[in-house]
Amino acid sequence: MNYPVWDVPFLGSGWVIGIIAIIHVLISHFAVGGGLFLPMAEAKAIREGRRDWFPQLEAFSKFFLVLTGVFGAMTGVGIWFAIGLVSPEGTSTLIHNFVFAWATEWVVFLVELTLAAAYYYTWNRIPDKIHLRLGWAYAGTSWLTLVIINGILTFQLTPGAWLPFAGSGDEPFHFFQALLNPGYFPSLGLRTLACMSLAGIWAMVFFSGIDGDSEGPLKEKLVRWSARWVVPAYVLMPVFFVWYLFTVPESHRALMSLGISTIGAGAFTMVTRMSLVTVMTSATMAGVVFFFAWLSPRTLSRSQALGVLFLALMATGSTESVREFLRKPFVVNGYLYSNGVHIKDVDRLNAGGYLASSPWVSAAVVATASTLPTPEMGKRMFEGQCLACHTLDGYRSLRRLLSDRDGKAIGNILTMLHDHKPDSPYSKFMPPLVGTPVEIESLRQYLDRAVNGKLTSPVAVFPPVVSASPADSTKPGS
Amino acid sequence: MRSPLARWLDERLGYSALLELATHKQVPEHKYSFWYYWGGITLFFFTVMCFTGVLLLLYYRPGDEAYQSVRSITYDIQFGWLIRSTHSWSANLMIASAFVHMFSTFFLKAYRRPREFLWFSGIVLLLLAMVFGFSGYLLPMDDLSYFATKVGLGIPAVIPMVGPWISNLVRGGPDISGFTVSRFFALHVVVLPALFIPVLLLHLGLIQKHGMSLPPSELDKPEGKRKTIPFFPNFAMKDLAAWLIALNVLAFCAAVFPWPLGPAADALKPAPMDIHPEWYFMSSFEVLKLFGKWIPGEFGEFAGLGLFNLGLVLWVLVPFFDAERRSGAWARRATWFGLAVVGILLFTTIWGYAVLPAVR
Repeated sequence: MNYPVWDVPFLGSGWVIGIIAIIHVLISHFAVGGGLFLPMAEAKAIREGRRDWFPQLEAFSKFFLVLTGVFGAMTGVGIWFAIGLVSPEGTSTLIHNFVFAWATEWVVFLVELTLAAAYYYTWNRIPDKIHLRLGWAYAGTSWLTLVIINGILTFQLTPGAWLPFAGSGDEPFHFFQALLNPGYFPSLGLRTLACMSLAGIWAMVFFSGIDGDSEGPLKEKLVRWSARWVVPAYVLMPVFFVWYLFTVPESHRALMSLGISTIGAGAFTMVTRMSLVTVMTSATMAGVVFFFAWLSPRTLSRSQALGVLFLALMATGSTESVREFLRKPFVVNGYLYSNGVHIKDVDRLNAGGYLASSPWVSAAVVATASTLPTPEMGKRMFEGQCLACHTLDGYRSLRRLLSDRDGKAIGNILTMLHDHKPDSPYSKFMPPLVGTPVEIESLRQYLDRAVNGKLTSPVAVFPPVVSASPADSTKPGS
Repeated sequence: MRSPLARWLDERLGYSALLELATHKQVPEHKYSFWYYWGGITLFFFTVMCFTGVLLLLYYRPGDEAYQSVRSITYDIQFGWLIRSTHSWSANLMIASAFVHMFSTFFLKAYRRPREFLWFSGIVLLLLAMVFGFSGYLLPMDDLSYFATKVGLGIPAVIPMVGPWISNLVRGGPDISGFTVSRFFALHVVVLPALFIPVLLLHLGLIQKHGMSLPPSELDKPEGKRKTIPFFPNFAMKDLAAWLIALNVLAFCAAVFPWPLGPAADALKPAPMDIHPEWYFMSSFEVLKLFGKWIPGEFGEFAGLGLFNLGLVLWVLVPFFDAERRSGAWARRATWFGLAVVGILLFTTIWGYAVLPAVR
């Protein structure tokens, strides 16, 4: 709890990231795939003498520039704001490890945006050959952004050879081990295919606006050509997906296989449910594109194309959720738990106190932490260790999850979370609850009151501790 | 060249005539064509609902064992949870898409002459679907469905003279019990399908007879400028694509948000704090509650019920007020009336959920 907490009632802070991230992925992947789509389309038009494509491609590149340059960039920055607030410790870890990667990424972004603008503004103003080169240059830089960010995203689940150096102070010397981690290449393949697919779908959305009566042949060609961009993903994604799964650590893959084995009983994990949604939406998308766009390209309407985009949104959202769920209970696998606690700090926090190590809890609260459990202290524990994934009344509501349990039963669950034994079902997807017995009793009292409206079991009494708590007078508020 | 099997089948079934008809049938294509798919989507959800309903029938036991059998379907039978969840979600999505279909029909003025009976049959289908939902809601006999049905059956009791009699008849006694479940079950799987399917066939038959309606903006165009596409294969293929999208939405809802089952109903327990009807009854429930507050006593609820029914009658009779293409002021009034209905339904539904106590 080195940072202040961010409470988003009902929705939960995780969903704030989720909503921004899904929109961002839908647009940023288009930024990469579109980068390839535009020069390829232009090259085809030049090669086959289809000058009638040019006005459409110019208009499409304007749409592309506005969508990716404004909404893509805004949501990208939005993700940074959100993850910095929700998981500051995790964000800090990523920044410390990948500062060079991010510096590179920002430079590449700048070049990418400049090239996208130059590409649009130079249609019919410079020779075709040079214009096309601008397009290829954009394609290269936009793919480079994916090359970099893909390493950071996959690092969180498969830090691989970097892990032994974690916390040693030597991390910057192992930058490439972190970036080119085991999940890197299959994920790069998956994302590149998704980018191409999304480029085709966004292009269909755009070209569906062409009047099929007056410009029937043009619409037919452009829509069908765009529809083809879905095919590589449809064919190759399963291969990359299986490869990716094999790079996921066994313990995390077990979450999915456990889910598949219990699917009939309906007790299967959320990660398996979302994986099934991914498989289903991806598999049916090709069918929808075939029926809507390939068979009747001239009558493809905007709403039908948006229907395909809606499916893509479902596929993207569920895939990104699977990636997030698979990482549980970590933010960085084997290094940092999802509640912002480092693995190496667990014993220290259990002995010295979780709140006592926080600069954001007042000394007055910490002073009582050695002997007297209080709901106020419990609230701080809740904010520090539960709020990143749970809310009281909304998403993953603790009032709902703990309903029908009295104080004693709530205490038993907290003890199980605190002990975090390997055979505990919770230890597979929840981080350990850290803190002294007094702090955990405080959390129990807080949750008991929140769930049952009052304390429903006796308050534990703790003997006075002789040694002073690690709280010191330099804390804010002391 | 047709295969010998196709020739053999055609000779006996005569399906080529049907195919010929489908190929020649034309469907209008314009900027509002999007709304044409909602009828098909509703039918798709209905089909899924029938299929999963038949599967549930294999294990469901009405009467006093209702809760245990649903519990067994949900937790013991392999994929029982999925079938139950798909059934419940398809029912809800069917009603949602039927609402979209009805309002799009309304605002595109598709109820005008000579389509009055399409409009009437559509409304009857929607009302029957809602009764399907109401009768199905009780069948698991968990605490929420028990108490919500208790409240729901209390509503007709405010009708003077016959109200209590109606409530008792439906309940099968003064209280909700295994008899009520048996009655609701019979209503759900025998009576309602027997009413629904003929009306559905009439509705579909009338669409074949009159064809897809054209919105006023298309009617204003000269006939030569109106676009059409063949029903088969073009429109049928697009319908299929829309069904695929609908299937994805259904699968997402059923897998990620499996339909819950609460604790068994216990008449001696206090009603749950967050007792409420299904979302499609929330608006009427909220209106009755508001009238009950404004006008104390049973008369308040009766007045609310009366007003709601009056609105429904006006809604049904709209084709008579706005019958012609050039209805002028009546056409505009009908549009405003439709907007008011949408506004009231949305506002009271959202309001109903907003004031629910957060107990879970």
